Amino acid sequence: MNRKHKVLIANRGEIAVRIMQACKKLGLEFVSVYTAEDVSSGHVALARELGGEKSLYRISSYHDANELLCIADEAGATAVHPGYGFFAEDFRFARRVTERERSLVFIGPSWRVIRDLGDKINTKRLARSIGVPTVPGSDRPIYDELEAEKVARTLFEYQLQQGIARPLVLVKASAGGGGMGIEEVYDIDTFRQVYRRIRNYAMRQFKDEGVLIEQRVTDFNHLEVQVLSDRSGRNPVHFGTRNCSIQSTGRQKRLEVAPGFDPSSIEYGFDAAAVLDEITQHSLNMARKVGYDSVGTWEWIVTRDGHPFLMEVNTRIQVENGVSAAISRVKGQEVDLIAEQIRTGLGDALGYTQDDITFHGVGVEYRIIAEDPDSGFAPWVGDIDRFQWEERDWCRLHTHVPSASPEKPYTIPTEFDPNLALGIIWGRDLAEVSANGLDFLEHLVLEGHNGKGEPLKSNVEFLKKKTERMLRF
Amino acid sequence: MEWEKQLHQLADRLNYIKDIFPGKHAEDISELENGLAAARERFPDCAAAEVQAGLAALEDLFFRTECRLEDKLTPMDKVRIVRHPQRVCLRDILENVYDNYTEIGGQGEHTNDPAMVIARAYITRKRNGDVYHQPVLVIGHEKGHGEEFRNGGSAKPWGNAKAKHYMGVAETEGIPIHAYVFTPGGYPLEDYPGAAQQIAKNIYEMAGLTVPLIAVFSEGGSGGAEAISLADRRLMLSHGYYSVISPEGAAAIEGRLRGGARASADLVERCARDLHLTAEDNLKFGYVDKIIQEPVLGARPYHYEFFRTVRQEVLRATDEVVLKARGLAPLRAAMLRRLRDRELNLDEFFVSWKLSRAARQRLVEMRQNKFIKASYGEVRNTRSVMGRLGDAWSEQWWEIYNRLIYDLYQRNRRTFGNVVEEVRSEWEMFKIRVLKPWNKLRGKTEEVAVTSEEELTTLSDWDENSRSGWNWVSKKAREDRAVSCPYSAQRGCMDMWAPDLYDEFAGVCSTCGHHFPMEYQWVMNNCFDEGSLYEFNTEVEAGNPLNFPDFDAKIADAKQKTGLKSGCITFEARIDGVQCVVAILVGSFRGGSVGVAEGSKFVAAADRARRKRYPFIVYCHGTAGIRIQEGTHGVIQMPRCTVAVRRYIEAGGLYLVLYDTKSYGGPVASFLGCAFYQFAIRSSDIGFAGPGVIKNTTGIDIAPDHHNCYKALSRGHIQGVWDRRDVRVNLRQALETMGGRNLYYR
Repeated sequence: MNRKHKVLIANRGEIAVRIMQACKKLGLEFVSVYTAEDVSSGHVALARELGGEKSLYRISSYHDANELLCIADEAGATAVHPGYGFFAEDFRFARRVTERERSLVFIGPSWRVIRDLGDKINTKRLARSIGVPTVPGSDRPIYDELEAEKVARTLFEYQLQQGIARPLVLVKASAGGGGMGIEEVYDIDTFRQVYRRIRNYAMRQFKDEGVLIEQRVTDFNHLEVQVLSDRSGRNPVHFGTRNCSIQSTGRQKRLEVAPGFDPSSIEYGFDAAAVLDEITQHSLNMARKVGYDSVGTWEWIVTRDGHPFLMEVNTRIQVENGVSAAISRVKGQEVDLIAEQIRTGLGDALGYTQDDITFHGVGVEYRIIAEDPDSGFAPWVGDIDRFQWEERDWCRLHTHVPSASPEKPYTIPTEFDPNLALGIIWGRDLAEVSANGLDFLEHLVLEGHNGKGEPLKSNVEFLKKKTERMLRF
Repeated sequence: MEWEKQLHQLADRLNYIKDIFPGKHAEDISELENGLAAARERFPDCAAAEVQAGLAALEDLFFRTECRLEDKLTPMDKVRIVRHPQRVCLRDILENVYDNYTEIGGQGEHTNDPAMVIARAYITRKRNGDVYHQPVLVIGHEKGHGEEFRNGGSAKPWGNAKAKHYMGVAETEGIPIHAYVFTPGGYPLEDYPGAAQQIAKNIYEMAGLTVPLIAVFSEGGSGGAEAISLADRRLMLSHGYYSVISPEGAAAIEGRLRGGARASADLVERCARDLHLTAEDNLKFGYVDKIIQEPVLGARPYHYEFFRTVRQEVLRATDEVVLKARGLAPLRAAMLRRLRDRELNLDEFFVSWKLSRAARQRLVEMRQNKFIKASYGEVRNTRSVMGRLGDAWSEQWWEIYNRLIYDLYQRNRRTFGNVVEEVRSEWEMFKIRVLKPWNKLRGKTEEVAVTSEEELTTLSDWDENSRSGWNWVSKKAREDRAVSCPYSAQRGCMDMWAPDLYDEFAGVCSTCGHHFPMEYQWVMNNCFDEGSLYEFNTEVEAGNPLNFPDFDAKIADAKQKTGLKSGCITFEARIDGVQCVVAILVGSFRGGSVGVAEGSKFVAAADRARRKRYPFIVYCHGTAGIRIQEGTHGVIQMPRCTVAVRRYIEAGGLYLVLYDTKSYGGPVASFLGCAFYQFAIRSSDIGFAGPGVIKNTTGIDIAPDHHNCYKALSRGHIQGVWDRRDVRVNLRQALETMGGRNLYYR
């Protein structure tokens, strides 16, 4: 790897901190940005400490590509790391970065990959073309009413054959996203009505009448496969699976466990080890097929009777990368996936194969967030007075919250998501990791107040409650 | 004192001469001045006889000088004559030419537009002691003799609407219309209705009006004149002018003047000459049919002989038109021969102006043919003789084919189809009946649909190509730069990267939806089926029919820059398999201006669409109006193309206009604006005159969004605003749901 590279960190908070640390580890220079709201954030302090004042640029918005690229030119950056969120899965940004006159390295997959895998229909077709299991239903937009009804009927009968007592069919606008234009059908006789409603909605909203019809899978676990590949895209490796089934309302993950299933301590109704093996192999196959050339996550759902279905591919480093790293060793060494992403992204070969990666123990990641689980996980706004945790060798905590005291509190910016810290706990087995996790949460000190003097609310209690049954269906 | 009055009149005549020859013919004028001054000095002391003789000599001197000056009239002098407050106006004509009249649609200042006067008038004729009263409807611009509220005869949109309304009245009553054109141009205000829209509607109305229409031109200023002058017979006063633009306007454009700077007198004079706007020129081009001779140096209200001439000429014209459309051929010919006799006093002659239904149809057809054929000789078509023969042959073939397909087969298709359907149903029932016992015996039941897992979980075959990008991408998408939206301050738009904006976003701001202008090729190549474009009439070239100085080079330059031969591209294409004829007015070819070549291509395209029963789509990528350097050749394209459009629409087609970027002037005020289905791509401007022209002519500062397509929508000019990315989908939808029943796929 060329050590002359200079990386523009186009993100904030915890991931910016992690990227800075990784750059430091790799001996790379970096440029960091922050907005007015983030002046007191830990990532600014760390950038000042590691890179000096001249590596810091103040911008008006993390969303403004023009401003970021101006800074990249100004500071002489040669690569851009988008982190997660913001521009991470924006293929246009990736294309612009790599195709502009003064081109930069986009540390992430090439833009074509982002584009192809960013489209769910395309992903589903790709998966089906190489035999990766996907949710039963159509893999293309359906424009014809009769055809739609036929597919829906077939789906109902198929589910009945599978022994599902209450079959459900999902009708969604193919051009939609973010939960817009989706409806469930539980009675096939109402299908036409729903279909027409969705079609008209899609016509109005997206100017496309296409509709997708799928089985609505209920009662499943959400699993992920962490994949890493170098720029050659030929030999991807995986870093195990994660189980991200514990989510808040609105399907936001709160607690992730690696590996995805633990057959050694939990009895499953199916061969859990075989399923894990199956989904990792499928994920790697698909990565090979599309020439995937960075870190990425293949998201799966596994039903209670052990059927895996590919849902989508996240073409970015994910928040929960640390928990996969915690249970993996490369040639016996600890691994930092962000450093690996930067290293391979800048052109290094991977340097190891799947055989060199070993897994041991169980890891769990807690997302510690200032929010109120009792009222729909509403973000809590205010100042943090104290944030302390006990240093243990089985615990690692990533945070951008600077050390706060009642005299010098840290105000949580309201412009961004209220994520405070990621606590990654490791244990030899599930029982140990649960105990460690509870221990960690028990000793976590998180205090604060808002404008009215009310104490800080966080999801720590929620996490404690969920720790006990974190890998069960 | 009688002689004082006469001297006063002579002084008036002198002032008139001074007005129309500013700074010219100084010695003639000083001679007249001296004569007048001497007479004023001498007459009080003279005897009556001597005064009489002196007055006669003075009159003589005046007349001789006026005759001499008449021979030296330049086109610009004629323009000044026409604009002079002493010029005859419509009210003079109404009083002196017609025997009785009533103004309808208001009177004087208190009408809804004092610049447009409508009157029911009577003409009384005698034949062998019988008296005949013949009603006519007089429509005309009223300049007045310098009254401010008349607006110089420039009619507002509602004035034109009034004219259109009374044309309908005349049609119902079956009386001929006499239109008097005394306008420097339409009042360029977009209101409810807009100027362009209303003029277009007027022209469209006249293209199918079933009563005789006689137009008399005195001052014919482009769009305003066309609004009432699509006539069976166009007469022109000998000192009038008929032009695409005022000489001052042309000079401002030629001299590239900005912000109301005035062109030099010399340049204006030259432009007036180059525009060929006089009566003789227009008679030569064939855009007027006859010249009415005026007295020396132009008609003024006291020239009673002139009004008698006008009366004779309009009667003659009306009679001719009526006779041509009606009656038995030999008798008609004899009548016409008699009418040509100049000595015949038409007041002692009578032709009934009533027309039968067939005669009315013939009348309209003749009028349409007349305008379709206008300016035909000016087209520069470099197509070879063999090519033309081939075209003619293929047209014939299409004619035969259409007869066979549509008239013979299609007409009876439904009956035929019904019979076949009935028979087939009966046969099915019969089969079931007969085979029932046999099937029962075999125990064969109806097939049950098998649910197949395979169907739900494996890859389906599907052509994804429709999802991937645009066929044609602008060159602007190759530049590495950020483009900011002009509305970023108001709407907070982020700057966009040019390759994203001009390629994937199709030139649409991703935040606010503002449409950046794109090349015409974008619609041409992205909205029709790939490879289905077949261009025709490619050899028609834009030329310089008036030999306007320096214009050859400009046209050559435009041709070289755009790679086109004219500003109009006509082709056949398919949209999802539906054939249509498309005409594009290219905004980058001389600003999208329309001249003879463009008009001719348009007419040919409309004709082709009519013959083949295809939908006719016009994509107006941008137009600045009529090409002023072609003068009246350009203006005549307005009625000409509108007639073609009307023919097409009445044949039962679908005529759809889609505006993009900026569309102004003549085309919008005629063949584009008259469409029933007009749509605009977002962020386009539609109007009659641009902001600069409005400022210059009316002194009004308009709001920046005055011409905006949403304003046009609220005025009822257009029927919808489309997103550029949806043009193809919307066009397809339009083809399915709009238009007449005569389209080939209906």
